Amino acid sequence: MASEKTTKSLKLSQLSLQQLDRFKAQLNEEVSILTSSMQSLKTVQLKLKESKESLDSVNDKSEGKPILVPLTSSMYVPGKLKDTSKVLVDVGTGFYIEKNVPGAQDYFQRRIDFITRNIEEVQKNLQEKHMIRENVVSMMQTKLQAQMQAMRVAK
Amino acid sequence: MSNKAAVQALQAKEKVMQDEIERFKKLQKELQKFTASRMQLDTQVNENKTVKEELDRLEEGAVLYKLVGPVLVKQELSEAKLTVEKRLTYITKESERYADMIKETQRTIEQGTEKLGRLQQDYQQALMKVSSAGR
Repeated sequence: MASEKTTKSLKLSQLSLQQLDRFKAQLNEEVSILTSSMQSLKTVQLKLKESKESLDSVNDKSEGKPILVPLTSSMYVPGKLKDTSKVLVDVGTGFYIEKNVPGAQDYFQRRIDFITRNIEEVQKNLQEKHMIRENVVSMMQTKLQAQMQAMRVAK
Repeated sequence: MSNKAAVQALQAKEKVMQDEIERFKKLQKELQKFTASRMQLDTQVNENKTVKEELDRLEEGAVLYKLVGPVLVKQELSEAKLTVEKRLTYITKESERYADMIKETQRTIEQGTEKLGRLQQDYQQALMKVSSAGR
């Protein structure tokens, strides 16, 4: 790890100011892409959690309970819960699978775990990029100062 | 070379350079388009992969539906598996095709950058010659 770091900073010191600037711009872009994917991953994670939690209210006790079914966002019709043992789960690309409640909960938990792993990965990546960017910025400052110094000496 | 001829040569050079810049911009736009399409395809590949995983976990006789317009249509598991499989191969192939196109465009852009650099240098030299001759 330590040796890797030194080779990286060695490379940085060999770049020109212009190259560093371009590198910094590229890093900025990568950081913003990663940040936005992080955001969408978190949204998905929340949705899955909500779906999983809503399954808690689907059990034997709630069978036959009256519910209001939304026809539009502002109109509801009364209904009754007829079957609480099975639910339909949207697994993507237009496929819906009929599952029992524990099966559906298992599905959501697996999806949540998957997303969480992804988030961790992105987080790690993001931190790395931030670190490299910091290094680039400090290298740019060092170079700028050196340049100014050289100019002063030349005068 | 008379001054007039030199100016004309300069204008010709400028025209060539402008054309090259136009071509360059067009290529870059194309590259952006390809990259966006590729990213979209990759998302679809991933989505289909997760669906396939989910279908593979199911046992024979599981009940599943496919969304057709606003209607849920009951479907056999084997049929659904086949659909996803076919989709996956098609999209993966498409994604690879775009990857090749992206590589190709990047190469052309690289060559274009070199050529543009030469043209600019050439133009600058001609410009200097004309302006020093004009004095």
